[in-house]
Order: sequence, then C-alpha cells, then structure tokens
Amino acid sequence: MSGDGDFLALLPKNAFVSVPGDGRALAMEATTVFAFHYADGVIVAGDHRATAGNIVFSDRTEKILELDRHSLMAIAGSPSVAVEMARTLQTAFDFYRRSQLQPMSLAAKMRALSRLLHDNLPATLQGFGTVAPIFAGLDPATQRPSIFFYDPLGAQFEGVAYAGSGSGSGSIKSVLHFLEQWGRPKPVEMTLAQAVVLANRLLMTAAEFDTATGGVDPLREDFATIKLLEAGGVRSLSAAEQSAFWKEQPL
Amino acid sequence: MTTDEPYRWLDAIATRRDYIRDQLKGATPVFAISRPEGVLLVGVGTGQSKVFEVYDRLALAALGHPVDIEKIRQTVIEAAHHEGFARSPEDVTLRRLLNFSLGPALKTGFEQIFAAPLMVECAFAEVGATPADDVLARVNFDGTYRFEAGLAVVHTDPADEAAAAAWLRQQVGEETSLAEAGRLALAAWGALTTGKPFVAPEPAAAPALAGRTVEAALLERRGNARVRYRPLGRSELG
Repeated sequence: MSGDGDFLALLPKNAFVSVPGDGRALAMEATTVFAFHYADGVIVAGDHRATAGNIVFSDRTEKILELDRHSLMAIAGSPSVAVEMARTLQTAFDFYRRSQLQPMSLAAKMRALSRLLHDNLPATLQGFGTVAPIFAGLDPATQRPSIFFYDPLGAQFEGVAYAGSGSGSGSIKSVLHFLEQWGRPKPVEMTLAQAVVLANRLLMTAAEFDTATGGVDPLREDFATIKLLEAGGVRSLSAAEQSAFWKEQPL
Repeated sequence: MTTDEPYRWLDAIATRRDYIRDQLKGATPVFAISRPEGVLLVGVGTGQSKVFEVYDRLALAALGHPVDIEKIRQTVIEAAHHEGFARSPEDVTLRRLLNFSLGPALKTGFEQIFAAPLMVECAFAEVGATPADDVLARVNFDGTYRFEAGLAVVHTDPADEAAAAAWLRQQVGEETSLAEAGRLALAAWGALTTGKPFVAPEPAAAPALAGRTVEAALLERRGNARVRYRPLGRSELG
C-alpha cells in the first residue's frame, strides 16, 4: 500500500502495464476532433468515423471521452492506445480523488496524460500507436476551463482559444484562426447555440477536404459528438439538443 | 508466552477481543439506510472521518481508530480500482471485495496476536437498480460480516446496535423522505451516544452533535452517471 494515490505506480505492482504498445494498431490519424472556447466554457467536438486506409471501419466511434466530472479527452491517433490511455486516466483520477479525499489538480492531470504519452514513445517512434490528444480540464479552484493539446511525445501546449487534432483538423484550425481574428462574433463570444452550429459546420467543412472525416450531416439529423466543459463540470449534448440549435440557425 | 497450546491461543484471542472492544468504546455510531433515492450514509465526525467514497457504486461508513480506518479504506479502494481496471467497473461488487479482499485481510490482522490490532467497525454499501438490489454489509473488526436488508447500524455495543437498528426499521417506512431518514439516523446517534431512549425528532429540531459535524453522502440510484457518490450538505438532511 503506497497511500499517495498514484494509480500508475500501482499498476506494475500488480503485473499490469498501463498502456501497452500495440504492434498492429490501426493508424487513425484519420479523424477530426477540436475544441474551442465559447462564452460559457469550452466545447469539444468530433466526428464519429473510424477509418483504416480507405476502409470506413465504423461510423459510430466515440472520440470525446469524459475522464471525470471536470475533464475531457478528445482522441486522435491509434484508437486502441488512445482508448486505453483514457481508461487509465479515468481510473487514475478517480483513484486519487477517493484515496486522497481531494480532487487531483489540473496540473497533475495534464502531467499524467503527458506521462502516458511519453511512456508510449517506442510505439510512436516506430510509426504505429501514435496518439495526439486534446485535453480540456476545469481548474477546481477557479472553475475556469482550459484547452491543452499534446504532441505525440507528451509535450503539452495550452491552446489559448482553440485546438484541433487529426487529419481533418487543418482546415478547421484555419477557420477558427480566421474567426478568432476577424469573426463577428468571435467563437469566444458565441452563445451555446451559435457554438454548436459552428462546430457542426466546421466538421462539414473538414469532411469536404478530408475523406477520413465523416458521418456528420445535420440535414439528416446526424450531428457531431459534442461535450461541454462549463463551470459546473462536463455535460454531453444530445442529437436532439443539437437539432433544436441547428433549426434556430443563430449564426 | 507461547501460543502453541490451545488454551493459550483461545485466551490470547479473547483478551484481544476485549481489548479492541474497550478501545472502541468512545467511538460514535454510523448508519447506512436504503432509500428510493439511493443509499444514505450518515455519521458524525470531524469532516472527512466517517463516510467515504470507495468506488463508482460503493461507499463506506466506519468508526474506530483513524489510522486503522485509513488502512481499511486504502486496502479496499486499491482492490476495487485494480479490479475495475483489469476487468470492468461492473465486476467490482461488494460481495467479491468482502469475500476475497477485505474479509481475509481483517481476519488475518485480527489473528496476528503479536501485532497491533485493527480497531475498526464499519458498514459498506452498494447501490443497485432498486432498493431491493442494494447490498449493505456490516463488517466487524475480526473480519466477520453479515449482509443487512434495508439498513445497517454500526456501533461499539452489539446490543445497543441491534436496538437502534430495530427502532430505525420501525421508523423508516416507504413514505420516509431522504431528509427524514437522515434526521432519524441522527436521533439514533444521539440516543446511542447519550444512553437516552430512542425518540423520533421534532421536524425543526437541530440534533445535539457535541460540537462535531454531520458527515453524510448519498449513493444515487437514478441517472446514468458513472460515479454515484455525492456528499450531502447539512441542509439536505433537513
């Protein structure tokens, strides 16, 4: 019994390796996830298509994962490794909160993800098992949500206004940059309804230029996966809620 | 002293039992009560000393030496998270944790007669889909435990504990609200700690807590959140 609440240190004692490098992981850099600040918090969105080469593997993939009530991870990269990372972090955050009787700080949560990415270095260098996630977390003290993105080696960067990852994220980041500079309103000034419409339009834009981004078609009631990080914590947005916003067309 | 003679072993165990009971005498009771809203856990302590989250659907209410409570708590939290990670959160059940992890550890600790004993009495709760599916376990310092239906009382005196449980079973009916159930538990707490008879509290009366604070939590039954444990504020207990 260590008593310091470190779940990652507990794993090897029980003959578990936190994130094994998977030699035949699908290369799913082909995906699109992104996050940006809107007026009331952070919106994290993604498509739900998983591809392997030119094959559509699944059109119902969950890429925005709730780690605990105050943090989210959007995954891009090898799904087997990324999902395992998210599961490890979920357990680590819960374990810390329960054993130490206080929530893990935002800095420590970011560090934990950084450590998992760094431990995954051999798989990254060999060109498979690469993961480039976006992390959004709420500081327990200030209740302020922040967006962070990582390179596959584990370096973390605070994306001040927005972050994007995956094959379709280039065009999305271009649009978000433009809107941050010259948008009326800027994304950070948008209401939830406006942010949701923007998120879906961004994914449709990405799908226009990236064959691996897909599955979002608001005209057929097929919406993005969206989770929100507000002062109260994480909240999922259902397709019905998105549909109502889409019909309003507030932008 | 040698313990290879049977009567000396029995003597040592009996002495150890008496010693632990004697040491626990100053501790105050804790309660777990199944309600339609979920499982309510109530104790009176110093803030984070009696009622604890264990896992997604599991919680603990304990009395005893703080260091020993901490040992039990860490042991069961580690076992639960390890199991939940290796298999799945649905595989973490109270029955399995007690049968294969905590029960044997407590029994071994109790029988190590040359080591300091663990001075803890506790109740574990697991919230189910309906009140009938809830699992409540009353665990003793020697590793024995029994599953209770509806509610569990943990106290240092077995006869008083049984009397409190019987009284609470009479008082807590289908119509009893969560806040009322909390008030009844605090009334039982007052009766057990002062030696006075059990009396249902007046709705507006604040219980006498001898300068300590109420620790309460609810393992919520409804909703689709993974984590069901929610600490309750004083106002939510009426």
